Amino acid sequence: MVVYSFYIFDRHAECIYKRRWLPRPVSTSGSKSSRPTSEASAPATSAPVLLGQSARTTDDDAKLIFGTVFSLRNMVRKLGGEDDNFVTYKTSQYKLHYYETPTNIKFVMLTDIKSPSMRVALQQIYINLYVEYVVKNPLSPVEHPGGVGVNNELFEESLEQFVTRVLS
Amino acid sequence: MTVFSLIIINKAGGLIYQREFQPGLRKLSTNDYLVLAGTFHGVHAITRTITPKLPLLTPTATASTPTSASSNLASPSGTSTPIPPTTTTTTTTTTTTTTTTTSVAATTYTYPIPGVPATGLESLETDKFRLTCFQTLTGTKFLLFTDPHMANIEVVMKKIYEFYADFVMKNPFYQLEMPVRCEAFDRNLNGWLRGRT
Repeated sequence: MVVYSFYIFDRHAECIYKRRWLPRPVSTSGSKSSRPTSEASAPATSAPVLLGQSARTTDDDAKLIFGTVFSLRNMVRKLGGEDDNFVTYKTSQYKLHYYETPTNIKFVMLTDIKSPSMRVALQQIYINLYVEYVVKNPLSPVEHPGGVGVNNELFEESLEQFVTRVLS
Repeated sequence: MTVFSLIIINKAGGLIYQREFQPGLRKLSTNDYLVLAGTFHGVHAITRTITPKLPLLTPTATASTPTSASSNLASPSGTSTPIPPTTTTTTTTTTTTTTTTTSVAATTYTYPIPGVPATGLESLETDKFRLTCFQTLTGTKFLLFTDPHMANIEVVMKKIYEFYADFVMKNPFYQLEMPVRCEAFDRNLNGWLRGRT
């Protein structure tokens, strides 16, 4: 199972955390050295990751993903009722998993198409990592404009571990 | 197995057919269905563009740029003595080489599954239903809303496409891209789906 990327959106529709993994071990170590790429305001450090992406940046990707997820969620609620939840969608190339907390924080993960349902995994990231290291951090602000407070070392390290050890 | 409803969207994103077969989903107004069709059409295109692109071999891109740079350096040094017109020609050649290298750098990515064209959303799962989208070669989209645990959706989809080809496309009075009002299509579709349950 391969995880391509992971995004967190807050209730103001802002991307407060994004992280991309490259499949090869060499390139993952490269992205690890430039760890602040997940920060929203670090375009220079994310440049090596962007070599393959011609014109679109990760910022644009995050916006497109939010738009997609938002539209689909509204569509699903309209058809299935207010208590229905959009879980995942699949194309011929990738699978997108979605989890929304009761406080409207949205967790999105892109994986390969063979991966099983990641709802529990996203829930675990929320409960065991986000709540523990971001919400319970006394230095972290209540809101996270531009990803402030989410990009702390403990959260990043444990997310890295979770994705590389638990999921793959 | 439960098939809730079927929606057909033409290649411009307009709703041309909507039928409910079994209750289970909430009913929307005609206007809402039109909005839904248009929204889905747009989202479908976006889901294709956000396909993850994996950098192929970044060393090749970095290796190609130094060689072009070295050639750029080599050619002016070789033709440094001649008069200005030749230097302008060398500058034009260098610009062409740089453009080719950028085009090479732009194509150094691959999709996760090489050889398979990237498509838009194919199936969407929620707690209460599963939406399967089938896009024909001409861009018409069939959206089938079924039970989340239903198997063999491809068979149902294929049969629906067959009915569409037989009773809609072969209907001499049907105008392309316009709403489907073919009694035979409705009748056969309903009959076949009822026979399966």
